[in-house]
Parts: sequence; C-alpha cells; structure tokens
Amino acid sequence: MVELRAHEQKILSALEKFGGTATVEDLIAECGFPDAAVMRVALTLKEKDLVKIYAEQQTQLRLTSEGEHHAKNGLPERRLIKAVAALGGAANLNQAAEKAGLEPQFKQIALGWAIRKKWAIYDSATNTVRIADPRLHQVVIPEENDEALLTFLSARQQTTLEDLTPELQSAVETLKKRKLLTVEPKTKRKLEITHAGLHAATRRAAAAEITQLTPEHIITGKWRKVNLQKYNIQAPVAKTWPGKKHPYLSFLEEVRMKLVQLGFKEMTGTSVETAFFNFDALYTPQDHPAREPSDIYYVKSPAYGDISKYKTAVEHVKETHENGWKTGSTGWHSTYAIREAERLILRGHGTCLSARTLLSKDLEVPSRYFSIARVYRPEVIDKTHLSEFNQVEGIVVDEHLTLRDLLGVLEKFAREIAGADKVRFKPDYFPFTEPSVELSAYKEGYGWIEFGGSGIFRPEVTLPLGVQVPVIAWGLGVDRLFMMRAGIDDIRYIFSQDLDWLRRKQVA
Amino acid sequence: MPTIDVDLGELKKLLGVAYRGDVEKLDSDLAFVKGEVKLYNRQEGIASIEIKDTNRPDLWSVEGLARALRGYLGIEKGLKEYIVGEAVVDVSVDSRLRTIRPFMGCAVVKNVALSDTVIRGLMHLQDKLDQTYGRNRQKTSIGLYDYSLIVPPLSYKVVKPEAVRFVPLGFSDSLSLAEILEQHPKGIEYGSIVKRHEVYPIIMDSQNKVLSFPPIINSNDLGRVTAETRDVLVEVTGTVHETVLNTLKLVTLALVDRGGRVFAATMQYESDGLRVVTPDFRSRLMELHVDYTNKILGLRLSAKQIAELLLTAGFGVESVSVESVGVLVPCYRVDVMHPVDLVEDVAVAYGYNNIKPVWRELPTTGCVKPEQRLLDVARELLVGLGYQEVLTYNLTNPETLFDRMNCERTRVVEVANPKVVTMTCLRNWLLPSLMEFLSSNQSVEFPQRIFELGKVTLLDESKETKTRDEDWLAAVTSHSAAGFTEIKSALDAFFMNFGVDWQIRETAHPSFIEGRVGAVVVNDEEVGVVGEVYPGVLEAWKLENPAATFEINLEKIIKNKQAKLG
Repeated sequence: MVELRAHEQKILSALEKFGGTATVEDLIAECGFPDAAVMRVALTLKEKDLVKIYAEQQTQLRLTSEGEHHAKNGLPERRLIKAVAALGGAANLNQAAEKAGLEPQFKQIALGWAIRKKWAIYDSATNTVRIADPRLHQVVIPEENDEALLTFLSARQQTTLEDLTPELQSAVETLKKRKLLTVEPKTKRKLEITHAGLHAATRRAAAAEITQLTPEHIITGKWRKVNLQKYNIQAPVAKTWPGKKHPYLSFLEEVRMKLVQLGFKEMTGTSVETAFFNFDALYTPQDHPAREPSDIYYVKSPAYGDISKYKTAVEHVKETHENGWKTGSTGWHSTYAIREAERLILRGHGTCLSARTLLSKDLEVPSRYFSIARVYRPEVIDKTHLSEFNQVEGIVVDEHLTLRDLLGVLEKFAREIAGADKVRFKPDYFPFTEPSVELSAYKEGYGWIEFGGSGIFRPEVTLPLGVQVPVIAWGLGVDRLFMMRAGIDDIRYIFSQDLDWLRRKQVA
Repeated sequence: MPTIDVDLGELKKLLGVAYRGDVEKLDSDLAFVKGEVKLYNRQEGIASIEIKDTNRPDLWSVEGLARALRGYLGIEKGLKEYIVGEAVVDVSVDSRLRTIRPFMGCAVVKNVALSDTVIRGLMHLQDKLDQTYGRNRQKTSIGLYDYSLIVPPLSYKVVKPEAVRFVPLGFSDSLSLAEILEQHPKGIEYGSIVKRHEVYPIIMDSQNKVLSFPPIINSNDLGRVTAETRDVLVEVTGTVHETVLNTLKLVTLALVDRGGRVFAATMQYESDGLRVVTPDFRSRLMELHVDYTNKILGLRLSAKQIAELLLTAGFGVESVSVESVGVLVPCYRVDVMHPVDLVEDVAVAYGYNNIKPVWRELPTTGCVKPEQRLLDVARELLVGLGYQEVLTYNLTNPETLFDRMNCERTRVVEVANPKVVTMTCLRNWLLPSLMEFLSSNQSVEFPQRIFELGKVTLLDESKETKTRDEDWLAAVTSHSAAGFTEIKSALDAFFMNFGVDWQIRETAHPSFIEGRVGAVVVNDEEVGVVGEVYPGVLEAWKLENPAATFEINLEKIIKNKQAKLG
C-alpha cells in the first residue's frame, strides 16, 4: 500500500480533475504550489509509478517592451495610414505624423513599413504621403497577420509557437526581425496519472495528512479525519544532556552509605586545621619531614590558631613528644614548641578529625567513626597526583580491640566497599600507629590494588588525648577504586573540567 | 619516604642471596622491613627501594638492609654483636658552639675494604641521613675522612667567617668560610643554617689543618675517601645529641659490615666538662610482657614463641620467663621507643597473613552528618532542573576569585607556600570556579547548565582555626538565550521544593548586570545572589554566550530550616 504525503495527494487529485493529464502550469494554477514544489512532488510520484511525466520541446514567444507598446497603440504604420486617410488620402508626412500622435522615433519606421506593405506612396520632393490604392482611403485597410499576432500575444503571458494558427505563425518571423518579440526554446512537462495513481487518488481523497499533532486536532476530534504522517524512525535525532550527579561524588555517596550500614558515624571538620591536630596529637614530631613546606600548606594569614581550650591535652602531648610522659615511651627527645602546634595549615589528611573525636568529651566507647574529608598537599598536579583530594578514613574504639579486629575491619571494607574476592596484608608505617597494616584487595578483572592503610593508634597518641582503650585507625584508597570502576587512568578526571566527559559518563 | 638505590650485587655479597633476575622475590622479602621495589634497572642490577618507615634510618643502606633481612630469611637470627675498640682520637668541643651546633660524635674505622661501588653506597647513605634523619643537615651532618692524613687530637670550635681559609671539596683554591657560603654550591645550599651566627663551626686537627666546615663542606685535602683509603674517620655534628650519636652509629656500622674495625673517640665538652666516648654499640634492654603482646595482637603466644619471633626480627633475648621476655634492642634500632614497637615486630615475624581477621560485632549505630540528607536533596533538585553537577578545586587564586569577576580583592585564606600560581588561596565563593569550568568548555554543545555544591572557606576570628567552612550551592545556565528569568525560575523551583520561603531584594553586584541582579533573602537575611552575569565578566572568562546564575549559602538555609523544625 502506497502512503501519500499531503502534496502528493493534492497533485493526484488535481490530475484526476483535469481528466488524467495536465501540464505543470495547469497544476501550479490548480494547487497553488510554486513551480519547483510541483516538479519535486511530480518526481516523487513518478518514482512511485503513480504518474508519468512527458516532456515536449516548445518554442516560447514573448513580446518585447516595444512590442507591448505597439500591441497597445497599434503598429506605427497603421497609425500613420489612419491619419493620412483622415487628412483626405494625401498629406504632408510631418502633418500626418502629428495627426497620428507618432513618437518621433517611430516616424521613419511608420513611413518605411507603410511603403513596404504597399499601403502608401511617398513623394520625397514634396514630403507627401499618399494612400496607394485610391479606393482604400474610403475603407479600412484590413488587419494583417502581424497585427493579429501582436494582439494575440499581448493577451497571454506565455505562448508557444506550437499554439499558434498557421496564419499567426507566418507573422512570427516578421515581428522577430522588428524586435517586437523574442523566441526561446522551452521544455514543457505534462503529467499523466497512471492506473495506480488513480487508485491512490481515490482511496485517500478524503483525508489530509499532517506532521504535528496539535491540541486543536485532539480537542476538536479532527485527528480522526487526518492522517498522521509516518516518520523515518531510523533518522538521527539531536542529543539530550540530562542533569546528572557527578560520578565521583555519587561514588563517595555509595561509600558513605556502606560505612553507615557497617555502623560508622560521620565526623566533619574544616579545611584549615591547627598543626596540633594534624601532627602533634598524632605523634608526628615537630621537625618531621611531613611538616616541611614542601609537604604541607601553611596558612599565610592568619598564621596561628587557638588551641588554648585544649590546654591539658596540649601539655600532655608536649611531654609525650619530649620524654614520653606517662605513655611508657621514650618520646622523640626533641624540643616541643606550643607556638608551632598553633600553626594553621590546610589539613594534609583526615586523621586530624579522628584526633579531635578522641579528644572530644562526646567520645563513646564502643564507637565507630568515619569522615570524608577534602585534604591538601603541595603537589604539582599530574596523572597520578592532585594537590587536593578526598580521604575516607576513621576509627574504631573499643576496650578489647586487637590486631585481629583491625584485620577484620580491613577485610570487611575490602569485601563490602571494593567488592574484593581476596585480601592481603603487609606491614606498613605511620608515625601514629603501631602495628600498622597495608591492605591489598584482589578483584577479578582489576587485579590487586592497594586499598587502605591502617593501624592501632600508638599509646603516645591515645593517652595524651585521654583515651585509655585501643583505637583502630584506618584510611581507604577510594580514589584508586573509583578510577578502576570508571575506567580512567588519570586521577585528574576526578576534578574533570571536561563537560563532555561528564555528560557522556554512564551512571549505571 | 626515603628511596634508596641498592646494588643487588652488593646485597648478594652481604646477604648471600641472589636477587638479580628475581626482583619479585626481593619485593616480597622487603615487606618484612616495609620496603617496596619502585624501579629496577636490569642492566646495572640496581633496585630503587622505597622504605616506608621514615623512622628506620638503619635501613637506608645496602648494609643495613642486609643486616635487617638476615633474620627473616633464616640466615642468621638474633642480635648481631658489634664491638668498639679503645679510643684513638680525642676531640675537644668548644663551649661557644652551644648555641650554634653543640654536639659531635666521632669514630675511626680501620682496614675497610672500599671499592667505588661501596663508596657510592656510603655517599648515598650519607646523603639520605643528612636529608631525612638530619633534616637537611639542620639537625645532623656527616663527614668522612682519610684517617691517615689526620693528626689527632681534633678540635671542634668556632672561628670568624674570614679567619680561616681552606680548599673545600671539589675546589682547587682556598676560600674563607664566608667565601664558601657565597661561592661553593653546598655553601649556597646549606649556608642559611650558620649564616645568622657571628662565628662559624669548624673542625681542625692538631696541625691546624681544616677537616670540615660543618654542616657545609669538607676539606678537599682530608675529606676525600677513595677506593685506596684503608682507615676512615667518621664525624657527625648536630643540634640534638641523641640524633648525632645515632647517625654516627649508622654510618660506622655500614663500614664495619664491610670488614672494618671500629675504634672510639672521646668528646671532651668544654662547656660542662662532660666526656662522651663514641660510638656506643651497646644494646638496650627492654621488657616485653606476654599479656601485653597478646592483648594487642589477639593471639595466644607463649613467652618462648615471642622470644623466637623477636630473634627472627634481629633482636637479642636476654631472658624468658612465663610473663615476659627480656629483649636486647640492637643499637641501630633507633625507632624502638615503646614496647608496642616490639609487638609490631613480633607480628611481622609471625606474618600478618597468618593472623585470622575477625569482624567484631559492636553495638554502634551508623549515621551520616546531620545536614547530609538535605545536601543530597539539594543536589537531586538541581539534577532534576537539568543541571550537571561538577566538582572543582577549593584551592584557587585571587585573579579567579576577584579580578575576573570584576570584584575588588578582599582578604581570603591564603597559603604561605603555594606550589603553583593558580593555587594560592581557598575560595570564598563558588561562582568563579563555575565560570572557569565554562570557560574550558566553549567548544562543547550548548545550552550548558552546571552546578556545584561545595565548600567555601571564610575568615572567622571566633573559631579555633580562625576560619570556617560552609556548604554553598551555585548554579549557572549558559546559552544564547540564557537570562534572569530562567535562573530566577530555577531558583524559585528549588526553594519551593526545598520548603523554603524566599524573597528577592534589589541589590548591586559588580559581577552582574545592573538591574538584573537580586539578593536572595530568607528569614530577612541575605543568603545569596541571583542574576545575569555582567558581560565584562563573560569577556574576562572568554565566554561567548550569556550566563545567568545563583549562588546561595546552603548551610545557613539548612540550619534555619532545622532550627524551625526544632
């Protein structure tokens, strides 16, 4: 079954009305489409074998502007001879021309053709024009073919040579020579409806076709009478970019929910931290390389914070650094300056939050805490380094915790968060934990990845903060996990400035 | 973390294990000492090994690594005894050094078998110790000399910067100390350590020949150790006595492991008459309780088992009773500060992977931070409004925060030691980050609608850290027809769904078009701004499309909301 578009339908109906055959001109007049549109539709219909197109070579005639002028006023020789007749059959040329109202440029032309057509005789000595046949001045000289053609053409826009009677055709050459008309070849097309076309025209004659269904169609019920155009559903469409969450932040949300499910409570803090919580409380000596300006950002102004409300803890930390205080340790044997502990820095790890929690009077035993903290390091950003990133870490506090519990926590994280199949532990080092453990997780398809560092806080950390029970401290390498999941090997994508990447990143 | 280059041929000589061709085995053995092979130069057989423990300088040489691994590999367990011969050098230490660089340690190692490779390794150790353990020579610095050229006793004293001249290592002309600080590369590098003093430290022998200008440079005549050198004098100066003595032990032991024999030196401190004989290789006795060990490890080890594991880890065992082990801590284990350090070594020797993990059930309830739920709701609403979430850095620079935003510069949290010029301060509003984001996406399809819920850091004298962080929310729409109406409509939809009544109040803001910007008001308090971005700002960011935006203090809005709900 052939489907027809609205234009096609209209042309077929028009052809039917014309009795099956019509010229393009006829169809333009009937349908009101522009020329090009009719031809375009005609070609489509031809492809569907609904019409046949015939072409004829024709000669098109068109009056020039002078031709138009004479068609309106009469040929100059006719006007001259009329004036001579009115003046009694013979007259001075100038008088006759004046009488005829001839434009000066046509005076000689009028005389020439009057003589050529043997209507008049001219005496140059006296400049007199005389009607050739003395009988004629009484009667009207009959219209000749050239004049008839002029009249005929002026009544029509376009005429072809083939449309003319043989009499009129004989005058074409004369008028062409007189530059009163032009002659151009032209292809004339005719459409003839085929049997199939006739069938299609009748079948769909009643229904119009529309592209966009409108509220009007629906409200008025008009949709029942229209045909909804079928679309090429394979055609490509414009891209839509929905609003989406950032893939990395969605991933962190997932991690956060897992930790909550495992019984961990979220801790928060600020980007700017005192050296006391970032280092001193974590038993990092005041001359430790991690405190060099190459490893930690110092705040320019204000340069110092206020730790006066932690006076006791600060004193205990100071003594622990210097001589071990009551912790059973030798301490660092280094001098400890409280001023140095007040230095403001951009926190270099999330462990400062754990130190704050341990010192807080709200610390519960047993308890589990976690934080997702933005941390800062003076690194030059490249494929594997960021100067700020997020750390997921926390603590477990309970009276009976042992290294086995620490390994248990790590194993749980590896399985629950990284979806690991196997885990492996290695000795690790942090100034604030002993023993310290590195966690590697194995996942099919990813291989082994380092997924965490952890340990049991040293007594030099917990005791000065007033905590008498063991505390497990852990941190997770979530960025590596995210990169593996997201299939990226450049850590800069976490803070990607590439909108196109974010738009195309799949969320499922 | 220190990284040391280890010649595997030398490691084989010292340890008897051939790792060339089996670097994986080396990597897995290094786990015992928290080491990792980072790079391996197959051709030269040199492995770059990272030692995670910054407090184990005894591992920063091939000699030290061999010493530490031998127990774990079952080659030789227990304490390795080192003996010091009688004092052969006297050193007088000037009391005027007390405020400059007061301490010194010294030793002579005779009959050392040196080769170019061994010397390279020694220089490497010296370098690592100077840098890391000696805090860039501030705390300690090391000097090595050809002992045969030196005539004891030595004097460690101070001189005026111009008073003494000598030829520094690597130079051919003699320079004054002041000139060395100006001209010698090491003088330029480390000069700041001594410059603030009126007099500089110097070490000389009895013939007034200069050994060294510590911590800057040795003499070119005496301070040059070659493969032909048989007897080596080692000297360490510094500001912390214990660190000086430890450093001396570490360097000397490396030479002893190369077959040398150590002789002591006597430091005579003029300031208090104290006499100190260096080096001291005696081990320390520490008592490790069985209960304590098991309580930390969650194991049921006997005293005998613990003793056995400690021997594997290279400790000595003086006594074993039911409750405790008398542990001899070798002189080079300067990291051992507390019995817990021994416990870890017991666990490492036992093998972490032989310990069964256990997940302890604890009656704790997990929860997110109180504002987290509403923060998530806010993000979801913006996503629903068709905005793409972005994540940008908190670190930025004043040009981004103010200049390009057509704003006057105000005080923000600046870092004292920025690494790059684009990251010099923390942001105090989010919009500049979003404009920066748009400016790197000019070739990406429009319309572009993005948002960020992020932290801003504001100065706040009342806080411990003199600052506070707040969660703010900013959104931008940018396309050929972006304008005030669109963004106001989005903001209105946000507030309506967030359950917050808001008003808009006329305001002026240099980043926005006059008359197309409003202050966002909640509870009679301004909490943000909404408007059409000023074309000058668009131009500064090289944006070709109009942009409209809002930025609100979400933290304040959430707090108000929670306060209302009680």
